[in-house]
Amino acid sequence: MATHDDSRSPQKKAADDIPIYSAENLQSNMKSIYYSRTFLSIIGGVVAGIWGISGWTGFIVYFLVMAFASLGLALKAKFSAHKYFDSWNRVLFDGFFGGLMSFVLFWTFAYDIVHIF
Amino acid sequence: MAEDLVLDTAIRDWVLIPLSVVMVLIGVLRYFVGKLMRSSQTADEKIVKEGQLIIRARNLRAAANFIPAKSFRLRKAYYTNEENGLLHVPKGQATNPQAQMFSDPNMAMDMMKKNLSMIIPQTLTFAWVNFFFSGFVAAKIPFPLTQRFRAMLQNGIDLSTVDVSYVSSRSWYFLNLFGLRGLFSLILGDENAMDDTQRMMQMGGFGMDPTKSLSAEKDSMEIIQHEWALPKMGQRAEEVLRKFVKQ
Repeated sequence: MATHDDSRSPQKKAADDIPIYSAENLQSNMKSIYYSRTFLSIIGGVVAGIWGISGWTGFIVYFLVMAFASLGLALKAKFSAHKYFDSWNRVLFDGFFGGLMSFVLFWTFAYDIVHIF
Repeated sequence: MAEDLVLDTAIRDWVLIPLSVVMVLIGVLRYFVGKLMRSSQTADEKIVKEGQLIIRARNLRAAANFIPAKSFRLRKAYYTNEENGLLHVPKGQATNPQAQMFSDPNMAMDMMKKNLSMIIPQTLTFAWVNFFFSGFVAAKIPFPLTQRFRAMLQNGIDLSTVDVSYVSSRSWYFLNLFGLRGLFSLILGDENAMDDTQRMMQMGGFGMDPTKSLSAEKDSMEIIQHEWALPKMGQRAEEVLRKFVKQ
């Protein structure tokens, strides 16, 4: 999980309502989220395939992996998401389904190579 | 699942793996060819000016609350006033983008290059897959699906008795085409991440009128509410300092 934390990251104080962001840093942080999720979904797909998980269990595995990713990202942000992102939803749900296609592909690929033939 | 098919391991070694590897390599190749073919355009001065202007206006809009009300009003007038404001586009001066495109062959050429670099590899790989690998049952999806997916997953084999979760080689090609995007974004950097869909979008929005975005920017500048942030900042500073003192 290469969550990129800049020291100059967007900051926001909940007390007053003027958001002060650095748009570029925010973007770079979001990009790291996207990368880590994609990476994890590919790796998770391969692992699920090698273990021979089939049926709907595979999707449960995917959601577990994504939940794990969210947890890891929150940990990396030291549970103060507002320091790096503009809302908690970014850490928890951004790109939750983006990796599904990659996951399914690599899951199928590994599963077929190991178990079908 | 009624019956399990027994697939030859040769299919794995000579269809499934080569197909996937080739898809990845072609993706990489396409990326680099696209990079080579991208001509360094000498941008038109007017277009660059307009783009910069829009960025400036946007910055002002984003940071409006950090300057005093008077300064904001001055800047707003500078951008939006009806006589010579920078964002104001006189009527009749708006250029027709279609006409502009025809007058500038470079633009059309560039567009064509982009499209070709997308379409040619795809048709070639598709033809290649069709030629070498047509009719194989190449893979099996590890989860059950309904009959509706038959047309999607078993493109190229016409057997209605085979379980739907088996995937023909041609459909495996399609799955790769869509599913590898994530991998490409990892190995090639983000430029490639959104290529296909993004390009489609660009094609849709192509011939967009630059003057339109100017006037849109002007409108949003006009409706912005200005509220100076400094008074609140005083409070905030006080809070922070108090915290310090407490420690």
